[in-house]
Amino acid sequence: MNHLSENEFEDIIRQSIPEPEHLSECDRCRKLLAEKKAVANRMRSAFSSIKANKKLVDNITNQISSKEISSRFHQVGILKKIAFKKIVWPAAAAVFLTAAILGIYVVGPSPAMAARAELVKIHRHNLSDAHEFYNESDPEKLAGYFKDKLGFAPSMPALGKGMALRGCCVRHFQGQIVGSYVVDTPQGVMSVVVVTDKPESLGISGKFKYGGRAFYKSSFAKCDMVSTRLDNYSYCAVGEISYEYLTDLLARLMPEKLP
Amino acid sequence: MNKTKDLTKKSSDFEEVAMPHLDTVYRAAIAMCSDIETAEDLTQSTMLKAFERFDTFSKGTNCKAWLLSILRNKWIDMIRHKNIRGQVLPLDENIVADRKPEDEIKYSNCEDLLENFSDEQVIEVLKSLPAEQRFTLFLVDVEQLNHQEAAEIMNIAVGTVKSRTSRARTILKKRLFSHAKKMGFTGGKR
Repeated sequence: MNHLSENEFEDIIRQSIPEPEHLSECDRCRKLLAEKKAVANRMRSAFSSIKANKKLVDNITNQISSKEISSRFHQVGILKKIAFKKIVWPAAAAVFLTAAILGIYVVGPSPAMAARAELVKIHRHNLSDAHEFYNESDPEKLAGYFKDKLGFAPSMPALGKGMALRGCCVRHFQGQIVGSYVVDTPQGVMSVVVVTDKPESLGISGKFKYGGRAFYKSSFAKCDMVSTRLDNYSYCAVGEISYEYLTDLLARLMPEKLP
Repeated sequence: MNKTKDLTKKSSDFEEVAMPHLDTVYRAAIAMCSDIETAEDLTQSTMLKAFERFDTFSKGTNCKAWLLSILRNKWIDMIRHKNIRGQVLPLDENIVADRKPEDEIKYSNCEDLLENFSDEQVIEVLKSLPAEQRFTLFLVDVEQLNHQEAAEIMNIAVGTVKSRTSRARTILKKRLFSHAKKMGFTGGKR
């Protein structure tokens, strides 16, 4: 009797070929195959719970963010060199103008990635036991808190369908004070951060329509984020929740404002 | 300014396409490195290298495989530069030896026997395999890449992937069974 070759075992395990009839006749090969499959399955299950921890994710995203920023500085440096090489003294004014423009650019808004990193940071801060977090589930009390701290009250969610307000927090974001509130949902916890910047300038640039309204999506450090404009503010829903659900939540959070 | 837009798009695309595979990269690093710190370093350097080279990644192709081949190269670099060896870590037998009588392991087949090992123990035994076998087995069994994909990552022939996987799995099985027998698991012979 010709037993199965090692290659045949591999192909059967990977389901590249159907199980040959030989297996029904040969105890040895059947047992070997079962053992090989068991080892493969156990290996897979041994690794299934291993996931990159939050600190590692943050480190990587921060380093990528710095690389992006340093690349931008590098480009500015190159542009300056070119400008100085090609433009002689009579054109010095143009150089100064270029430098001024570049200067504005360099000290201008942080890159989009940094903005999204900050949104995720606010969300994670909200989930930690931060002292600044105002634990309150009553929308009216939250509105009062926001009015007191921000001078206005962002649109509050219409609760139900398993959603509950957890509380809110006021924090710095890109040099401005912004408010955010946390909503517990059946799919997880989300933060809604209310900022004045438009979604595209935050790097949340994947535009799509939902219920006739424009929404924008992006992701950062394992968090998905969806944003929409309302009364000159961008409402950014952030969480480890799918885009679809975040969008639906945003739409349901502002039922009176959305079509 | 166009370059700036390109950079922002690059980071945004990278997050969308590559970052979802971070856990896979981390798992591969765990399989290849002796300790968590080294695995985290390898994961970071892999992802940063991938970001630098993201312009060379063809959209629509297998990003997971692309990242794993970068990881493999980075790991080889680490060994060359830091003299980090593919470790041969013994199974911590005390973990099993300390079992109380009521925890005694009974099994009727191979799957039952393997379930008696903790995830950590299975990974430790995997780490005792030669590096190339270990990585091939990881790609095929854990990440369930097909032989062709694994061959491309390892830069070897498909036939070599099959024979290497088979050999690695056989050694792994023998080592697990041997430990099981040493620990007195009844019926641990084959």
